[in-house]
Amino acid sequence: MTATNAAQSPVAPLDGRLAHLSKDFEHTPWPLCCRVDPTGRYVFVGGTDHTIQRWEIATGVKTLFSGHTNWVPTLGFSPDGATLYSGSYDGSVMFWDVAAAEPKPVRIIEGTHKGGQPHLGWVRSLAVSPDGKSIATGGNDGMVRLWSTEDGSLIREFPGHSLFVLSVLFHPGTHDLISGDLKSNIHQWDVKTGALARKFELAAYDMYFDIGDWSHYGGILGLAVSPDHKHLVASGLHKPTNALTGNQQGVAHWFDWESGAKVLKQESIKDARDMATMWRSVFHASGQLIGPLDKFVGFWKAGEEDLYHAFETPSPIHDIDLHPNQVDLFTAHFDGHIRQVRVAAATT
Amino acid sequence: MMTDKVMTDRDTWCGSREHFIGRRQFMGTTLAGVGSAVGASLFTHPVGATEVAQRGKSMVVIFLEGGLSQFESWDPKSHHETGGPFKAIPTSVPGIHISELLPHTAKQMHHLALIRSIKTNLDDHALATNIVRSGRMTRSATEYPELGATVAKALDRDDFPLPGHIFAAASGSGGRGNNAAYLGPQYANVTVSGDAGVPNSVRPEGIDVSVDTQRNTWRRFINSRYTRSVHATEVDAFTQSYEQALKMMSQRDVFDISKESQAVRDKYGNHELGKQLLLARRLVEHEVPYIEVKNGGHDTHWNNFEFHIHNVTYFDKPFAVFMEDMAERGLLERTLVVVMTEFGRTAKISQGFGRGHGTDAWSIALGGCGIQKGAVIGKTDEKGAEVVDRQVDHRHLFHTYLRAVGIDSSAEFNIAGRTFPIADPAAGPITELLT
Repeated sequence: MTATNAAQSPVAPLDGRLAHLSKDFEHTPWPLCCRVDPTGRYVFVGGTDHTIQRWEIATGVKTLFSGHTNWVPTLGFSPDGATLYSGSYDGSVMFWDVAAAEPKPVRIIEGTHKGGQPHLGWVRSLAVSPDGKSIATGGNDGMVRLWSTEDGSLIREFPGHSLFVLSVLFHPGTHDLISGDLKSNIHQWDVKTGALARKFELAAYDMYFDIGDWSHYGGILGLAVSPDHKHLVASGLHKPTNALTGNQQGVAHWFDWESGAKVLKQESIKDARDMATMWRSVFHASGQLIGPLDKFVGFWKAGEEDLYHAFETPSPIHDIDLHPNQVDLFTAHFDGHIRQVRVAAATT
Repeated sequence: MMTDKVMTDRDTWCGSREHFIGRRQFMGTTLAGVGSAVGASLFTHPVGATEVAQRGKSMVVIFLEGGLSQFESWDPKSHHETGGPFKAIPTSVPGIHISELLPHTAKQMHHLALIRSIKTNLDDHALATNIVRSGRMTRSATEYPELGATVAKALDRDDFPLPGHIFAAASGSGGRGNNAAYLGPQYANVTVSGDAGVPNSVRPEGIDVSVDTQRNTWRRFINSRYTRSVHATEVDAFTQSYEQALKMMSQRDVFDISKESQAVRDKYGNHELGKQLLLARRLVEHEVPYIEVKNGGHDTHWNNFEFHIHNVTYFDKPFAVFMEDMAERGLLERTLVVVMTEFGRTAKISQGFGRGHGTDAWSIALGGCGIQKGAVIGKTDEKGAEVVDRQVDHRHLFHTYLRAVGIDSSAEFNIAGRTFPIADPAAGPITELLT
């Protein structure tokens, strides 16, 4: 369980105040998620048009990956960058050749459920193990499942969530599997046995809310581990004033990995940003946390509750990813665009 | 207490049109009654009313507040980007598909009909709720009685011990609403809870039967003396409320769903909606004319799809259980069930995966007495944005509901000599939907 310090080369401090739009990829219709491949050559986008779109960042050349039959909310890559994994609201998980000229699924995971899908209902999140040998998926059936990347077979199931599993993540240091659900439960699993190792505790209404006895919202929308492997961060929403209109604020809770204690809450305090949800947060190698707040990109320094800068973009953001170069952010927007936000001095 | 009523085909022994008193005849008898009665509301006794009261019709409205999305319920467009991520599934009626969020209801589709071509004109919640409940084109200076009050008035009978207009709610105070307009407060809703029943409905321990009888006799005497010299609607309402309360106290078990077997309660579900629907079924068994069950949270401007998973799923199973139970007990033969909402939602998906208020092309489901089983009225375009066939509005719906339970919607209420059309005279029922 003990986290090891990540071996890192020195990383220049990030200055969010230098953020500026550097490229724009028009996806349409709406992108649900965006991920930069480990080589940094492409940004992949899952959309409501049931496709995955691969954009070559340097050239802007777009290639369609067709195969899913519903929205595509989650993507992941093998550590070597050769394989793309995608999960869809159609309940399927597909493997793809990242660099294929004419992409088609190279494997479709066959589950054990009626209909032969990995999850009964939507696949919400997937994560690739640090060694690349397995992928974990979380779904609306409340299950976390582990699959072999070699043959697509089911390795293990992790029952225990009472509602939708919205996020899954492997700890990059310990290789533990972590999952977060709609009721803001965060579970750490023993990958080898399937046993629940521990829970990270949030207070009632930290990140989960309900309407009467019928509706639920909030939950653990994103999970991230700090570059030094010492903190787990869960992102989502809080302070709702009208859930049905999305009037709420984004939030990220930090947990100490060693003790499991909640140690910090990051939000936008001095300039409360309503209508904001932190759909995901990513760590910069310097330890700064970056997350979307409506149409802003928020930048937080490690250990500080309030953000030090909010960069405004043209449209609300639904997902964010950081390029391996640690300088470029990619944001998926509700106006159908993918934007590249460079966090460095602009060059003329 | 008011003793007269409007004519309905509930009042015919067989419910046939042949035995239904015509509008002209109805108006004639009503007007004849005006001269002989004293009071605010004047209706004549229809022929055969005593007999037909024993097989009274009822209406149950499940009002899904906030504007249920027709895409995520009755009119899915899964082949189009406006349809969102949910699939359409087949139902027990060949050719009819509804949202995959309603798998249990899909199995009861043979008890239901759909109207998929509703276009209305107000997208404000309060105003839209007002017009769908009153059946009038738009809100005007005249305050119209809501559907429940109209039905309660029309199906009222002298010897009926329960309120005719009941809201089954999560927490019911037993108090009355304010939705009867000129029909008088005795037709406004009484709110009760399936869990708690009717609050304060037991005679206090310190007051024995004889004392209770004496104090009620004294109250009636004082009221009678007062109303000999002063007549006021408010006094009538006050008096009626007391008498109604006494009757409800004697019938309090009707409201107690714990009288049902555990198996039945489990089937309906241990949650608010299931409890209220079970209470609604009990009230139908006791021939309450109008019962309404509410469920909120459908105003999904943000995260429409996530919220509809919860809301529609929450609705689906208890509603299906309710329909199946009603059918098995033969209650659908004399009960109209309507799944109502104030408007639908937009085809356009907005930022944050929401849908706005949609008045251009929305849907409802209904079934039971007077309604063709498995019918689909109207059609929307492939995007679900516009009505392309058989456009109707809330006025047509209002007429249709009334006709289905045997009320002549072209008739008029006669209130102290002034006539009020029961429904908007400029519209009529959806006749092809009626049996």
